[in-house]
Amino acid sequence: MKNFKYIFLMLTFLGVACSDLEEEPVGLLSPDGFFNSPADVQTAVNGAIGTMAEEGYWGRKLSLPIMLRSDMVTIADVGTAARRIDHNQFTVQADNGMITAFWPRSYQIIAATNEAIAGAADVNAPEAQLNAATAEAYFVRAFAYYNLVRLFGAVPYLDTPVSNIDEAAQISKTPETEVYANIISDLEYAKQWLPDTQPSTAKPTKATAAGYLASVYLTMGEYQKAYDEAKYIISNEGKFGLTLADDFQDLFNADKQSGLNEALFTLDFNGFRAGNYGQDYQAALTGIRGNEAGGIGGGWSVAAPTVEVYNTWDGRDYRKAVSLDTIGIFKGNVEPFINFPNFDSRNIASAYIAKYTRFPGLTSNGNGRGSSFNYAMMRYAEVLLIAAEALNEVTPGTTEADGYVNRVRARARNQAGTMSMYPLDVTAGLSKDAFRTMVLEERKWELAFEFKRWFDIKRRKMGDEVFGPSGLEPQPNFSAARDYYLPLPADELQRNPNLQPNNTGY
Amino acid sequence: MSNKTNLVKGYLLLFLVFMSALGYAQEKNVTGKVLSQDDNMGLPGVNILVKGTSIGGSTDMDGSYSITVPGNDAVLIFSYLGFFPQEITVGSKSTIDVVLAADSNELDEIVVVGYGAVKKSDITGSVSSVKAEELTAFPVLSAGQALQGRAAGVVVQSNNGGEPGAPISIKIRGNTSISASSAALVVVDGFVGATMPQSADIKSMEVLKDASATAIYGSRGANGVILVTTKKGRAGKMSIELNTSYSVQSVSNQLDLLDANQFAAYQTAINPSYVQGSANTDWQDLIYTGGAVSDTQLAFSGGTEDIDYYVSGNYFNQEGVVINSGYERFSFLSNLNAKISDKFKVGFNAVGSRNTKDGVSTQANTGGRGSGDVISIAYRFAPDLGVTDANGNYTFNSVGDDVDNPYAIAKESIDETVTDNYRANFYADYQIIEGLSFKTTFGFSTLNRTRGTFKPSTLITTAGAQGGIATIENTKMSDILSENYLTYNRELGKGNLTALLGYSYQKIKNERNGAGAQGFITNSVSYRNLGQGAVPLTPSSSLSETEIMSFFGRLNYDYNDKYLFTFTARQDGSSNFAKNEKYAFFPSGAFGWKISNEDFLRDNNTVSNLKLRLSYGVTGNPSIAPYQSLASFEDIYAVVGDETVGAVVPNQLSNPDLKWESSYQSNIGVDLGLFDSRIAISLDYYNIDTKDVILGDTSAPEYVGFLNSTALKNVGEINNKGFEITLTTRNFVKEDFTWTTDFNFSRNRNTVQKLIGGEDIFLDSAPGHFLQDETHILREGEAVGQFFGYEYRGVNQGGTLPEGTASFNNVPGEELFTDINDDGVITTDDRKIIGDPNQDWTFGFNNSFRYKDFDLGVFFQGAVGGDIFSYTFLELASGGSNATTEALNAWTPTNTNTNVPSAAVRGKRISSRFVYDGTYVRLKNLVLGYNLDASLIEKMGIQNLRLAISAQNLWTITDYPGTDPEASYQSSGAQNSNVNNGFEYGNYPNIKSVTFSLNFKF
Repeated sequence: MKNFKYIFLMLTFLGVACSDLEEEPVGLLSPDGFFNSPADVQTAVNGAIGTMAEEGYWGRKLSLPIMLRSDMVTIADVGTAARRIDHNQFTVQADNGMITAFWPRSYQIIAATNEAIAGAADVNAPEAQLNAATAEAYFVRAFAYYNLVRLFGAVPYLDTPVSNIDEAAQISKTPETEVYANIISDLEYAKQWLPDTQPSTAKPTKATAAGYLASVYLTMGEYQKAYDEAKYIISNEGKFGLTLADDFQDLFNADKQSGLNEALFTLDFNGFRAGNYGQDYQAALTGIRGNEAGGIGGGWSVAAPTVEVYNTWDGRDYRKAVSLDTIGIFKGNVEPFINFPNFDSRNIASAYIAKYTRFPGLTSNGNGRGSSFNYAMMRYAEVLLIAAEALNEVTPGTTEADGYVNRVRARARNQAGTMSMYPLDVTAGLSKDAFRTMVLEERKWELAFEFKRWFDIKRRKMGDEVFGPSGLEPQPNFSAARDYYLPLPADELQRNPNLQPNNTGY
Repeated sequence: MSNKTNLVKGYLLLFLVFMSALGYAQEKNVTGKVLSQDDNMGLPGVNILVKGTSIGGSTDMDGSYSITVPGNDAVLIFSYLGFFPQEITVGSKSTIDVVLAADSNELDEIVVVGYGAVKKSDITGSVSSVKAEELTAFPVLSAGQALQGRAAGVVVQSNNGGEPGAPISIKIRGNTSISASSAALVVVDGFVGATMPQSADIKSMEVLKDASATAIYGSRGANGVILVTTKKGRAGKMSIELNTSYSVQSVSNQLDLLDANQFAAYQTAINPSYVQGSANTDWQDLIYTGGAVSDTQLAFSGGTEDIDYYVSGNYFNQEGVVINSGYERFSFLSNLNAKISDKFKVGFNAVGSRNTKDGVSTQANTGGRGSGDVISIAYRFAPDLGVTDANGNYTFNSVGDDVDNPYAIAKESIDETVTDNYRANFYADYQIIEGLSFKTTFGFSTLNRTRGTFKPSTLITTAGAQGGIATIENTKMSDILSENYLTYNRELGKGNLTALLGYSYQKIKNERNGAGAQGFITNSVSYRNLGQGAVPLTPSSSLSETEIMSFFGRLNYDYNDKYLFTFTARQDGSSNFAKNEKYAFFPSGAFGWKISNEDFLRDNNTVSNLKLRLSYGVTGNPSIAPYQSLASFEDIYAVVGDETVGAVVPNQLSNPDLKWESSYQSNIGVDLGLFDSRIAISLDYYNIDTKDVILGDTSAPEYVGFLNSTALKNVGEINNKGFEITLTTRNFVKEDFTWTTDFNFSRNRNTVQKLIGGEDIFLDSAPGHFLQDETHILREGEAVGQFFGYEYRGVNQGGTLPEGTASFNNVPGEELFTDINDDGVITTDDRKIIGDPNQDWTFGFNNSFRYKDFDLGVFFQGAVGGDIFSYTFLELASGGSNATTEALNAWTPTNTNTNVPSAAVRGKRISSRFVYDGTYVRLKNLVLGYNLDASLIEKMGIQNLRLAISAQNLWTITDYPGTDPEASYQSSGAQNSNVNNGFEYGNYPNIKSVTFSLNFKF
């Protein structure tokens, strides 16, 4: 019987366990000691890029307002959410639901890049290798602030990870010019350290940084610098492996995009998603309700061009056929756009945007949602047009500037292998003003629905004209004094009163 | 053993011979058997006394006795601990069989408390005991369900009406938190956090309510504790029990909806070009069917003096009243105890079960295109459509959002959950010296669950475009518990001291993984071949571990059987507590005064028991999830170069000061027994101040860029106070007839005391497609979860509107609301609190009658106050759906004398129009039983045979026009169960049943 006691005692000790109660999470990612190699820096950069491909940013919350604020795209289904209509009609208020959604996402992108840049300091690796990864973070940060500064002007500017929220909660807005200066500084770093080429257009190169510098300078009206940056790319196009795609249509074909060398930077989707990450909505938002073409179940008819876009676009321009759908298939029959509303009252009688609905590739969800489309944030064609526009401002009437536009037009004559006469070359010897008007029009058609037009309208202050009675999309509510800037989210101004006052008019 | 029995018999014989030798000449011999009313088993050791004499005896092991009485006018008194005594005049009989009724309110009854047991009369805290027969009065899936209405201060509710396998929520004394669970802690046979066993295996269930009782469970005690003890074997020959029942079930209530012609007229009023469909379908009839429950239990028990055993197996099968829903469970339980020596005892307890649930979608959180649940869709679906269209495809709705028809969803979608749950618990108890013993327990529990779902492409709007969607999810939980404690007991002065000191270690591990795919070639593989799907969905997996390390102790001192003192304390260290707050301390103290033992009451004939109980203590709420206080990155889905790549974003900063929530509870109680405890009353008043309530602080600007922008802070305060009355009266206690009444009544008042900066917190529980974002509110000074919206004032009749009212578009026929700020228009500023879902009081009322071999039980249960907000009625009044027959009385220019607005498609606005009083009284159970006469069945070797017919939910009195006043939409999960109260949308209907049951004992 005595032995029982010992067995018993043993059992007790086996059962009694001690622990320091420290948590050692396996599935959870701890920031402490996270950054050990350039690959870890890359992982944080990827976080920024993944956030860009989220519903609250490029998925639709940011991309849709940029489209709707232009004169090329209007609201088709008038029953859609008011937060969308308010952008189209310039009735935005400081609590607008699109803004309150893409504002935090913008700063989540920035926070991820800040972690990457700060984390790189902990990494012991060859400078070139490490800086190439860090340079991507600088580029993406500049990209995010570039969107913010164009939309809002002065914004809170953070370039290090936040470790004390109370402190960070009291900062003031950084003036617009300073934000631009920071963007330029980030892009210069990126230009210095990024490689000439990358395995994929989704990763920025030296040319990408230079292209964005050109765009930033163009926006700031520093045309010589804009020209210099664009020219740098054009002079080295072979080294950077940049060419215009042969067939304009291929640029908007999800299955062909990865084989092209025109994009300087793409935001990629691959037909998969996790919740709202990796799910874009362009095809659904711009598609025709009830359209059987493409077999994706039609779209939601939220955003479509006014019929004036169709009417004013030269019908001989191949880019019009690529950019617009003038027919749909309903109940098995091909129908012209004039009949679209007959099949769903939420459709309008106008040609619809075709760039995102015709070849969305693999989709993870109905209506073309979660496509495998790669969105070109900047194409080489735009670099050529920046060079032309900037050069005209510095030295008008050059054949060099004409030549850049002509390259873009020449490509558009390749109509799926059949060469057309149109669009014709630029008339030589245009005046400075005429050339400027011509190149902005060229951007309008070449880059139609590619999220560029609103920023062109803003930087060239064309609002009163294009939203006037003779514009493509008259919007009587447009106010040049107010609408070139969006309001900062009202609740953010409550959380940090130092951000007040809001932009003029809000 | 038989030797010992014979020895006892021998002594008894000797005793009787001795007694009879003293007897008179007319004395006679009486023999018979004393049986327990509970199980018709013979009761050994019952005292038998001839009234007014010292002549007595007792029963043998089989309950038989033989006694010599002075004459025919002798009166025999049969008495036995824990049973009502009975007096019987001998008369001319020479055989007297007696059935003794258990006296479960007997003050000497032993009540299980945390890490020990005490006499009921020595309890200083607030503890309710639930009787085993109350738990088995009608078939229930979980013993928790049977608790409804049985104990004061305990509110039990199904999370989804009568759904087979629906989770149930058990709340004790109100909501003590906002974001942490308020669910009671369940302890089974000492295993903390165990699953409730099935009810026929339960011997006793104790509900610990006040801090004095629960503080020994420290950081997990704040929500109250339910202690469950399972049955053990008794020394004696093996007894076999077979309990079987079969219930026939039906939907208790349906809504009155428009038929096809009425619907077409209604839709035409909204949209003149509406074209009526050709069918006339009653969708409720299509999805409802007759249900059935069969429940069978077989138990073997017995033992010797050294070893006892109880082994049982149970099979439960429910076919739901909604087509394709059901639940099946196999379970077993085994309890073994062995006495190795006089000082050393060991035991082993094992439980296992497999549950299979076939679910249909109900209470869906959205009903937009391609989603929704069969119940709410059955209400809203166009009745002029058939199940299939002309091409043989399933129809989808012709009005409102595109949703598949409810019959198709119920028939075609698969949602199967299989859960295996095993628990083993070993203990050893060693008496070191007289009065000091040491007990160690080691337990292991594991739960594996697989849930597979499949939506085939034939559900056109749900999965047509995706080509079928399948998911599979596996969850694995394991829980190890080691507890070790010393108990010391000795006389000290005029009193008795009991001390307890222990150490406990528990480790809980949760693992989960999930995968899915869509784009299937065929609908025949269900979720069993994900690889066949063309498009994989993102897989997921996670792991979390929690360790809890605790010291606990208790000191009981009972002075002169008059004054009782209890002190308990527990220190919990937990891995999920934040870095700077790893250890938490929870003390409590209590005082009891047995006033009836004082000299001035001792011999009082009226007051048989009077006790005062006072307690105060602190308990905690396990409010912090594992890893919640750590700084973290979150991995997200990202694509670079068409490839999915590893990607992280900053998620949150660390929160090293985050603490558990603490409840400071005081309790005053009085126990009163009158007329020899024929009437027993307990009154309790309590006040619980919960502090450090965790709230999400969203005051940080979003530009700081963390994915999780909400910082958790211990800033809130909540108060719960209330009182409880428990009354038991034994109205008749006669040999042939007994009548007992149990009544319990509870009132809890909940108040939110403090929120961040005193700011209201707006909450949303509406189905996603309602596009609402504020439906209820937390406000200082109010109870949690007040409904928030517009105050409905009838219909806009045109012309000058009544003072202080307005409507959105000022069109006649529109809904008219109170214009609170009197600006002539209705805006979001015109909303206010429009309803309170918290019940004013709840009660249970049970009457048991026994006449000879028959017994009758009538059990009512109910709640008074407590508003319901019906999303169902809101949706059915919004135009884009079918409607209730109320729509026949809609406002038109010629039918103006009505409270129902004109037929129109309207935004689904939260207004008092859809707030209803949820008061109800329900005849929860009505049972009539018959025990076959012992003399008839004894020959067949049967000890007991009982037949019973019962009915559940037979009758409900309520003004609520929906299907069930026990509404609980969006009310599962920690936070939702606290703040989302009284909402209703598409719940699985409540069920009426008629049950036939048969109990055998061999």
